[in-house]
Amino acid sequence: MPATLPQIGLLKGLALTLKTMLKPATTAQYPHVKPALPPRSRGVIALMEENCTVCMLCARECPDWCIYIDSHKEVVPPKDEGARARTRNVLDRFAIDFALCMYCGICIEVCPFDALFWSPEFEYSTYSIRELTHEKEQLRAWMDTVPAPPELEVGAELPKEIADGLAAARKAAEQASAAVTAAADAAPAAAKEGAGPTATAVEEDIHVEVQIDQAVFDQLIAEGKTERVARAKAKAAYVRAEKARIRAERESGQ
Amino acid sequence: MTDTLLRPGSGMLPGGPGEGMLVEVRGEGELRTQDMNLNIGPQHPATHGVLRVVIDLDGEKIVRATPVIGYMHRGFEKLAEARDYRQIIALVNRHDWLSAFCNELGVALAVERMMELEVPDRAEWIRVLMAEWNRVLNHLMFVGSFGLELGAITPVFFAFREREDIQGLMESATGGRLHFTYTRVGGLKEDLPRGFLAASAKMTRNVRVRNSEYRDLLEGNEIFKARTRKVGILPPDVALDYGVSGPTLHATGIAEDARVTEPYCRYDKVNVHVPVGATGDSYDRFQILLARIDASLDIIDQVLDNIPPGPVNVKLPKIVKAPEGEIYVRTENPLGQGGYYLVSDGKKNPWRLKMRTPSFNNISAMSYLLKDQLLSDMIAILGSVFFVVGDVDR
Repeated sequence: MPATLPQIGLLKGLALTLKTMLKPATTAQYPHVKPALPPRSRGVIALMEENCTVCMLCARECPDWCIYIDSHKEVVPPKDEGARARTRNVLDRFAIDFALCMYCGICIEVCPFDALFWSPEFEYSTYSIRELTHEKEQLRAWMDTVPAPPELEVGAELPKEIADGLAAARKAAEQASAAVTAAADAAPAAAKEGAGPTATAVEEDIHVEVQIDQAVFDQLIAEGKTERVARAKAKAAYVRAEKARIRAERESGQ
Repeated sequence: MTDTLLRPGSGMLPGGPGEGMLVEVRGEGELRTQDMNLNIGPQHPATHGVLRVVIDLDGEKIVRATPVIGYMHRGFEKLAEARDYRQIIALVNRHDWLSAFCNELGVALAVERMMELEVPDRAEWIRVLMAEWNRVLNHLMFVGSFGLELGAITPVFFAFREREDIQGLMESATGGRLHFTYTRVGGLKEDLPRGFLAASAKMTRNVRVRNSEYRDLLEGNEIFKARTRKVGILPPDVALDYGVSGPTLHATGIAEDARVTEPYCRYDKVNVHVPVGATGDSYDRFQILLARIDASLDIIDQVLDNIPPGPVNVKLPKIVKAPEGEIYVRTENPLGQGGYYLVSDGKKNPWRLKMRTPSFNNISAMSYLLKDQLLSDMIAILGSVFFVVGDVDR
């Protein structure tokens, strides 16, 4: 009996294909089942027209020069008397020629006003290449398909906005605790000055469950404000009142 | 049917009713034939793109083979002179499209070395991770296509199944499946998404298991061995003369790898295993591909253990300008050694960006390899010398 069968390599290969054939197929039936694309997937570029200030950085940085921007300047009359009239850039045309676009993402990266976003939308094939130039209406419509950015990996540096906010909060907390210890150490004669910082320190700890102050809400609606504005102001009024009440309780309790 | 002798002048035609007869030739005893000039390509499924090989055939034997390149020349180096460095990184993805990240890496390294920029630790480690995944992607492609050219249709589906999984992984981090545009001068575009490292670890286990499946399918296959053993032997001195590099060179026995000799990023901190072959024939080149996939997976595992926390890019000036001067950076692209020669005159566009691409030299060895081979072996040789035509022509 030979150590290995003749043609054993072929047989091993055939055994593998037989095994694979007997396994169920995992074909994704595409038109009926959409693929699950990751949030960073580069499908199409969406434009948030409201954020665009027509700085033209995207058009300048595009390696293919496939972004076509037209704009004109409008003069806005001054709000107060004697103030200077302001000029504003108005976006007339913002078109991306997706036939030229390399999907590199440089335009999205350079936009200083967060007006451009990636979207995983990929089903925009057309029969004619001219139809691949999409205008700002379509680009704005694609904003609805832009997903939230994924969380960053463990060990990544926090985004600058969050890092700055955390640093500021930490600094404020340190100052507050330093003030509290200073007040505790200070002589009772200096209690009055200490009360100020302690009060602000305590105020930061007060957490109030947000509710709507009905009276304020009704009054604002009667004045003619929109429901959204009235709701916001009523909530703020409620929170302010609650915090004042709690602060007064704590002070009286102290 | 009896064998009848077909004499000249008997009026019988080959392929006619008298087919299968012996032919008696008067004269020197050798049929006088003409060398046939055959064009393989530019459109050909086995040439990995638009490569044209003009061969002179004596019957079935190739007397002379000349690769004709340039069908995919896109003027990349000229384009680079009119683009700034981030735009160049977006373009340079596209010449060796199977190993896009490694190309970007070379350009970014060249600019960073000229600017003497300190790239954050985490960025360098992630660059190694991405480059090695790209190497796995590239080699998987050639594992599949080599089998396909020889007629084995199954391995290419298996290889592409792996490629799809890995490309999905890369898409979660970079947004693209083939052209990543993930490197920037000074680091990376952004950090990895949550769960990438865990998915990466799982993927290395899967690919290792499936690598053994390719061994079953192709490496042990007797027909494959018969078609590729002792076919297209490239001696080491000839390989060095032509400037061949990468797996094609390692198959001849020379272990020249830029990751080991001139380590860049964090390759000096990981154990890089460079598999070498013994004979330099097509079978060795294929075996090395599979071994390199395993070696890259080992590097990925080491990187996954070592990635430090921290930032992934540095604060750059608004317009990145490389100082005046020139620099040559060598990187080990999956197909071989890539060289990036950057000459800058202080502006934001390079004065000259010359790329030494590995595929260019790999196919220059084709005229040596194909000489005196049979036409049937030509496909085995073409498939085993790894090149991408976009890399050849830029």
